[in-house]
Amino acid sequence: MMWKEKYKIGIDSIDRQHEELFGHVSNFTQTIRNEENWEAKLDKVKETMAFMKDYVITHFSEEEAYQEKINYPYLEEHREAHDKFKEAVNDYVKIFEENGFTEDKIQEFGGKLMTWLIMHVGNMDQKIGEYVKSKGGQS
Amino acid sequence: MKSEYINSFYKATKDVLRLLVDIEPQRGDLKVVNCFASNKDANVELGVKGDLKGKILFSFPQNMTLEMVKIMSGMEMDKIDNFASSALGEIANIIGGNALTLLSEYNYTCDIDPPQIYIGNYESASALNEKALQMPLVTPIGEFDITIFLKE
Repeated sequence: MMWKEKYKIGIDSIDRQHEELFGHVSNFTQTIRNEENWEAKLDKVKETMAFMKDYVITHFSEEEAYQEKINYPYLEEHREAHDKFKEAVNDYVKIFEENGFTEDKIQEFGGKLMTWLIMHVGNMDQKIGEYVKSKGGQS
Repeated sequence: MKSEYINSFYKATKDVLRLLVDIEPQRGDLKVVNCFASNKDANVELGVKGDLKGKILFSFPQNMTLEMVKIMSGMEMDKIDNFASSALGEIANIIGGNALTLLSEYNYTCDIDPPQIYIGNYESASALNEKALQMPLVTPIGEFDITIFLKE
């Protein structure tokens, strides 16, 4: 499993979504890395990709709405990071649509996705938790 | 080469590896090198442009690369395939980005090119006219190097 307790930011609703997101990325990673024949698991790869693309957008929107609600001072910076993340995912989706879901490209995407996600949740999102804490607790 | 270049890359590396793979690298003695080359198994080159120009090379042994990807993914890795090399490239990319943010505090505005990943020995196609600095970093899961060549 990719999820670690240290990634929690101390806001239950966001932590639950992060844990779920990590779960999906972890399953995706296991799917693309298992020994099964690539053609045989292609449908599952496509299905997971489509789901994750939507889930990432939903999660980011909800996280941004929460930041607005608490008047988070770094909302714009955070939104920019989300936009970059979404753009990077969409760039890969475009590559897959144009050139097919090749194993090499999907593996490349999987390695990047895992690293981005850990870095974003483990670093940038922690600052939301720190801000809420500095204001006296969960909002 | 100025100490702030080295210190920025060291701090960024420490912060990023602590977060991503739970390890704290310790800096070894700096070495002056004449060429941009490495005999380690996985190398990531980052081009730097802007107020500072040059390139940075991250060089990792195979076992350390696999261990880092294993710590992040929670899965066993037995070879540096596209998944592992892409994760490694992204780690170097994040370190580079963070180091440039630190360098901006010294009023250097720079940008990095997308990471170029080389599996196996690495030797730069273009020769260096000046010397570069190599910083060895020791961790509980292996020793790696960052070679820095930057000029104003």
